[in-house]
Parts: sequence; C-alpha cells; structure tokens
Amino acid sequence: MEYGMMRGLRRVAVVSLTAFLVAGSVAAQDVKLRPLRPIYVDSLGTAIQAPEGVAFDGSSRLVVADTGNRRFLIFDVSEDSFSPAAEFRLSQVPLPVRVRFDSGGGILALDGKSNQVARIAPNGTFKSFVEIAPASDRGAVVVKGFEVDDDDNLYVLDTAGARIVVLDSAGDLLREIGFAPEAEFLSDLTVNASGTVFAIDSVGRRVFVARKGDEALAPLTESMDEDMAFPAAITADGLGYLYISDRGGSGIVVLGENGSFQGRHSGRGRSQGFLWYPSGLHAGGGYLFVADRGNNRIQVFEVAR
Amino acid sequence: MSLHHKLAVLVALGLAAPAFADNPYRLKPGATGDLCLECHLTVQETMKLPYVHTPVKEGNCSECHNPHTSAHGQLLAAEAGEICSNCHGDVVPDDPRSVHAAIVEGNCITCHDPHASQHENGLAEAGNQLCFSCHDAMATKLGNARFPHPPASDSCLTCHDPHASTKAEFLLTQETSALCADCHDASNASFVERHMGYPVADSRCTSCHDPHGGETAGIFLANVHAPLTRKMCNQCHQASSSPDALATKKAGVELCRSCHSKEVNAIEASDRLHWPVADDTSCLHCHSPHASNEDALLFMPTKELCGSCHENSVKMLDAAAFKHAPAQEGSCSVCHAPHASDNPLLMQSARVDDLCATCHDWSSHSSHPIGEGYVDQRNMNVTMNCLSCHEAHGSPFRSFAIKDPAGDLCVECHQQITK
Repeated sequence: MEYGMMRGLRRVAVVSLTAFLVAGSVAAQDVKLRPLRPIYVDSLGTAIQAPEGVAFDGSSRLVVADTGNRRFLIFDVSEDSFSPAAEFRLSQVPLPVRVRFDSGGGILALDGKSNQVARIAPNGTFKSFVEIAPASDRGAVVVKGFEVDDDDNLYVLDTAGARIVVLDSAGDLLREIGFAPEAEFLSDLTVNASGTVFAIDSVGRRVFVARKGDEALAPLTESMDEDMAFPAAITADGLGYLYISDRGGSGIVVLGENGSFQGRHSGRGRSQGFLWYPSGLHAGGGYLFVADRGNNRIQVFEVAR
Repeated sequence: MSLHHKLAVLVALGLAAPAFADNPYRLKPGATGDLCLECHLTVQETMKLPYVHTPVKEGNCSECHNPHTSAHGQLLAAEAGEICSNCHGDVVPDDPRSVHAAIVEGNCITCHDPHASQHENGLAEAGNQLCFSCHDAMATKLGNARFPHPPASDSCLTCHDPHASTKAEFLLTQETSALCADCHDASNASFVERHMGYPVADSRCTSCHDPHGGETAGIFLANVHAPLTRKMCNQCHQASSSPDALATKKAGVELCRSCHSKEVNAIEASDRLHWPVADDTSCLHCHSPHASNEDALLFMPTKELCGSCHENSVKMLDAAAFKHAPAQEGSCSVCHAPHASDNPLLMQSARVDDLCATCHDWSSHSSHPIGEGYVDQRNMNVTMNCLSCHEAHGSPFRSFAIKDPAGDLCVECHQQITK
C-alpha cells in the first residue's frame, strides 16, 4: 500500500512539474537587454531634460515626455534608428510625466502638475482631460499612473481613492479595482493583453495583480527588498514579462507575469546602458525604452531572448 | 541471541529510558552541581545571594550547560533565549502586539542573572534602574523633567509589561486611554473643564501628553500646536456641545489651509508634490495635529519618518562607511523639500552645485572643472557637478566618492590614464 501511495505521489509530482513547465515556458526564457545608443536631443540639437515618461506605438512612433523642458517629443522609429519628428508644448499639460499611445495614434498624458490625464490628438493638439469622480469616501483624485489596453480602455491609478479606475474609450466607467490591504504606496500600473492588471508598490517593493473580474488587487510577489530599492514604474511587454524601473536602485528588474524573478539589469552610471534615477518605461516591438531622468535621455534597450 | 534474550534487552532498555532522560550525561549519583562547583568557585559565591535560580539551587547545571562540548558560548546546551524559553516560554503570549527587543533577540540575561541575584526574579538591577541601563535617554528625561509623571518615576512597570503585551504597542499593559483611565477619571469635573468639555475619554492621550513627564503642569509634549495652547480646540473641531464634537470642521489639507494658507498655496504652486501631501490624509501623514516632542510637530524624528517610506536610502546610509552629515543626522530637508519642489527628487535647488554650495565652498576645494560649461564625458546631456564624483548620502569611500579614489573614480572619465 505504501508503495502504491508513493507511486501516486510521484505521478502527481510529475504532472504538476509538467504543468508548471508548460505554464512557465515563456517566463523560463532568459531576457537580455542590449543597450542601444540613447536618445539625447530633438531635431534642433536641444538636449532632453529630466524626462519622466516614454511610450512606443509598437511600430513607428515614439513619444517622450520631456518633463524638464515641459514639452512632448515625437520620434520616428526605423530599424534601431530614432529620428526627431515633432515637438509640441501644451499649456494644459505643463508637466508631462507619463505618456501612452491609443490605437488611433492619439496620445494620453499625465500632467504631474494638475494630476490629470489628458487626451491629445495625433497632431499634438489638446482634446480634453479624462474626467474621474472621487471615490465615494474621498475628496480628491490623485493620479499617479495610467495604462491603455489594446481596446483603448484606460486604467487609472488613483492613490487618494485607493483604487484603479477602468474607463472605456468614451470615458464611461467599466469597473473599479480596490487596493490590497498590504499595499503601502502604489506608484504605477500596467495591463497585459489578457486584461490582467499589475501594480508596483514603491515602498513595499512588491507587485500586486488583479485578473479580469477581480474586485481588488492581491499580492503577486513578496517584498523584493534584495532586488529593488524604490521601484517607480512598471510595464508589460505582451510576451509574459514585466519590466520594473527601480528608481532608487537605478536598474531594471524583469519578472515573469507569474511573479518569478527573471533578472536585474543595468545599474547606476552616466555611460550608455546605465541609468540615473530612472522614471517611466515602456516595452514593445522588441525594445525597452526607459525615461532615464537623471541622465537627461531616453535609454533604449533591445530585448533579446 | 535467542528471542528470549532479545526481549530481555528491549525490556531493560525500555526501563532505562526514563532514567536516561532525567540524567542525559549519566552522572554518577551525587555528581550533579556539586561536581561543577569544585572548579567553578565564583558560582559558589554567587549562590550566597538571596535570589538563586532554581536549577542552580538544585544543582542542575546541566539543565542549561553541556558539561562536555557546545556550539554556544559558556558551554550552553542551546542558544541562550531558547534555553530560557524551555521553562519560561509563557512570558511571551501567543499573539503579542509588542515584545521586548531583549526577548526577541534572546537576550534574557540583559535583565536577568541566570545564576543568582541580589534582586527578586534574578533581576540584574532593581526597579527603574534596570530599564535605564538600556533606556538611558529616558533616565535623563525623567531626571530632568520639571513635572515628572509620578507613575513613570515610581516604576516603569506601572504601565509597561517587561516581556510582552497582547493589548498594545510599546509593551503597554492596556491601550493608552484605558491605561490612563486607571488614575484619571474622565467624568471628573476638573478633567472635563481642562479638556474644554470635549469627550476625550476614548482618545489617545499621548497625542497631547507625554506620559513620562514634561515641562508644563499638564505634561504636554514639548511642542504644542498653537490652537491647543490657546485652548481653541474648536478652531479645528466641531463645538464641544456638538453630537460629533471630535469631528474636524474640514477634511484633509483644507482644514490646515484655514491657518496655513500661505504654506499650502506655496506647496500647491510647485511643480512636484511630495505624494503624501496630495491625498486626503495630507499633512497628517507626517505632522501631529496636537503636539509632539519633535520640531514642526512631526510624528517622529525626521530620519525615522522619512525612512518609513524611503527605507532604501536609510539602509544605504547605514551601510556607508563615510556618511554625509545632514543625511546621518536626519536633516533630509537640508537638500530635499519635504512638501513640494519644482525639481526632481524634490531637491531644494534646480542645480546640484548651488545646493552643495550652501554648505560647501566647492570652488576653492578643487581645481576640477565643474559647472554648466563642462560636459560630462560619459553623457553629453549632463554637465559636471558635485554628484559626478560624490554620493549625496554616503559611500564606502572617503569624501563620499562614488568609486574608489585610488582606483576607478578618475579613470571612468580619464580613460587615457589607464594606458
């Protein structure tokens, strides 16, 4: 009987291991970040200053929140080449700190001054602010980060309301996701292709997750004290990986979407490939773009697996 | 060996087992503590003290010590705290809210002599003197207080459990309001009058009063919010006659703005808010609305307060061999604006050099080019500044260098030197 029990346990273990390997096959690959030449200047040679946000449309356009210069920069992307294409400033968005494209080429931008998310036309004209009502028991909405999914739904991180507000492309409320009680200070979020939301906790140094239908975030990882100092931003690459900008530790941490640690890259420095208090980041099209705030540049990495 | 013989051996071993458990070192009859004392003469003297630890009194030295070998100091049979908990495990309850650090660290002998003592419970010192041997700042405070709180002067144990508490933080035997109510009757007319008629019976008394003593008859904390000193509680709270008297008149920063409008407006005019300022809790993330022993009514010393979120910075600082004095002293606001700033990292100045120059005359300390006209060779968008070579908080290297001045520091830019 004991032998039979052992055989049964062994079969369960083998099946479990197989299931684990299949499920984790994407995350099991090594991620390598190869630094390319950073983006330093606009078309006139004016230096980028303390950028905090960056976004790539996945094919040909890159937008930079050139925060220190209080402007937006657009670059054309072609075969590892990034050519300045346009520059614009908006009085309504004096301090852009996060940017994303929508599916129509429009830009969404978080203004660090007013804490509002603005909708901007592809040609750079201001359209409107996204309207968000305060949480029922709160007086203020404080937006710290946002993300746009493939259907143009907008996920807004409201730290004052301790919630993530999900709006459709017309601005209508789809759902709210509450913070986990363990969360200390959530500072950014991202969404993968299947609608799973990931949020990064700067103080707790851990990632939280909410899958479709979840009413609240739940811990995805334990506190990653050894791997992150003060993480500030997070992005998903659509291929099963999460990239975290560790502002306090000047590095990039890569996790699998199951929370598995996949590596830490770069480090504190001024030379190409290094970072100095990095801010927002965005992955897509085989690239990882990092708003390298303290180095006044956009650090570009080619993602290899 | 026949089955009969095997059974006989097993029975003999079985009978011997309890005896072995009682005498694991198989000491000869009478060879207990007396044998140890033949060499350990000082323990003989110790045993003359009035309070002797029971195992010592009974000569069971091997209850705590291994007579042959040990991986622990003093030939202890296990880690010190573990040995004590074998018999005294009940001093820490199952679900404590606070536990004395000495116990967490297994340092019971900080307070108790494991052999014998002049004092009851084997304590190393009597009364508050024992506590003061670690909590020396409290000893100074109680000694210097113009109005010491008598229960604290009498005995720390009036309010604190020396081992652990299931009921409150800081080893308090009850929550603050209940503890204070043991002596202070909140329904007493004098009490009501002194508290301006507000229903404070269930409030946290220590938000205004220092339970150990103070410089005023009301033993207020050292720094008191101005409306409180003027007994104008209703400047912030509803009238004392109101059914919801302790509710504030406005929420969050709007309440503070009523008096501190200049400061709040300046904060809101800045480009970058420190995030705690922005939400509904706002000022109360860091400041006490009533009183504090810290400047600016901060809840705790600055380094501790800032470190409660920016733990990584404090850890790096603590690990650094060379520490920048303002960071080490917790004067974070010398360089960082605690509320808001127009600059990244909430720096007090847009340019690092300007900030450093408020304390350091860097133009005279080095001939190395620094300033707007000198591009960092590693990055065309960065000009040479103090942080090109120095860490702001601290570093393993002298002068807070970012790298070893005798090694990689200079050659990171001046690579021709390595050739």
